[in-house]
Amino acid sequence: MNDDFRKWWAVPAIIIPAMVPAAIAAPAFAAQYLTQEQAQQALFPEASRFVDQPLRLTPEQASAVEKYARVRMRGAEQPVWRVEASGRHLGWFVLDEVYGKHEFITYAVALDASGAVLGVEILDYRETHGGEVRQAAWRAQFTGKRYGDGLRLGEEIKNISGATLSCKHISEGVRRVLALHQVALK
Amino acid sequence: MTGTRRARPLLGTLVEIAIEDDLPSADSVQLIDRAFATVARVQALMSFHNPLSELSRINREAWLRTVSVSDETWQVLTAAQQLSEASDGLFDITVAPALERAGFLPRHADHLPASSHGGWRDVELLPGQQVRLARRVRLDLGGIAKGFAVDQAIAQLRDAGVVSGSVNAGGDLRVLGNPTHTLHLRHPSLPTQLLPVSTTHAAAATSAGYFQHRQWAGRLCCPIVHPGTRLLCDARRSVTVFADQCLIADALTKILYADPERGSRVLEQFQARAVMLEPVTHSGECHVFDSAAA
Repeated sequence: MNDDFRKWWAVPAIIIPAMVPAAIAAPAFAAQYLTQEQAQQALFPEASRFVDQPLRLTPEQASAVEKYARVRMRGAEQPVWRVEASGRHLGWFVLDEVYGKHEFITYAVALDASGAVLGVEILDYRETHGGEVRQAAWRAQFTGKRYGDGLRLGEEIKNISGATLSCKHISEGVRRVLALHQVALK
Repeated sequence: MTGTRRARPLLGTLVEIAIEDDLPSADSVQLIDRAFATVARVQALMSFHNPLSELSRINREAWLRTVSVSDETWQVLTAAQQLSEASDGLFDITVAPALERAGFLPRHADHLPASSHGGWRDVELLPGQQVRLARRVRLDLGGIAKGFAVDQAIAQLRDAGVVSGSVNAGGDLRVLGNPTHTLHLRHPSLPTQLLPVSTTHAAAATSAGYFQHRQWAGRLCCPIVHPGTRLLCDARRSVTVFADQCLIADALTKILYADPERGSRVLEQFQARAVMLEPVTHSGECHVFDSAAA
């Protein structure tokens, strides 16, 4: 066996014990990227007007969307803005949310007037499912240890190395928004 | 927090770009737009999924005739070759067929069966940015292109005068400015729990099975192929590599994941550091191995 590696394995690895329930709450990873207005500006920089036109689907339309997108419709109303530049119809700004096993994402889809995707922006990303409490317990194990150096509970988490969700949920969401356009905005 | 931070779905993950400089927000938004466009360009060139990408053209044609490629693809193929040499083949971009078999990559109808004897040495880089495949191998740049895209986006921000910022493509990340910074690693079996690690390396990348594993041949596998056996690796542990460039970090995670013992010898020549997290039991216990502590 290679010496370097034996050295590496021989290091008494820090063993992170099983978690203990803790009452301390630290924020789970969350990022607020853009407000709705900022997202509108970012996706349609040339727009002069966003006309609030929430979409309320009839049961027939909802089932048509589900059939087309192969995704279940959630909620009765979809926030949609009609986008204009000096009277000209530029497209649509659709606000949507997706839930995964660990995350909750608010995002916006920009469609041009014909219904093609111009862009997708994430507004808000949150990791959930009791992560707050568990994370505090897990992080507490490192207090005073090498890995915990400089760590304060509640410290802002800026960068996580380790894949986020696969973008499957967002792709499904965009497919549903396209179906919405097909069924109700055309 | 000052600055501007945005995220878009790209490269099959969420790509987050942040500028921390005190700039008018319209300027930051525009700079971030351009950095996203750079990432999108790398995706368009090197996507395995997209039949119109340069990579797909190589896979379809380069065993028949030489194929000219863009500067970007050339840089990635050159770096891949150097990493294959440095690791004695532990890094290998010809693993696409194994990933297709397990369903991690799509099968393209116009792809002929790949040679079962091929490997990274069959990728020939010829003068004039031309590529030829000596055997009918099939390339996947998934182990390196994401890191490259991050490096490109950072270079773009830096060239535009940005002093402090970051690009994070689903865990493959690089910071600009901030000589010492704290990263959070995910617990391999409880991924919403985070382990803070302080580092002076600008870039880091992680390979782990937590959001991407699949049951294949009776095992829980992650989308990393051992180039020697051409089998998929277990999805149990996570490997994070810290390096100066994200491309290097990205590629080294594949090497370390496939073979921690041999892989650890490759770290030094790239001045890199690896942290492996390995859950020991189902109770949530986890071992941390750190090459910097060795």
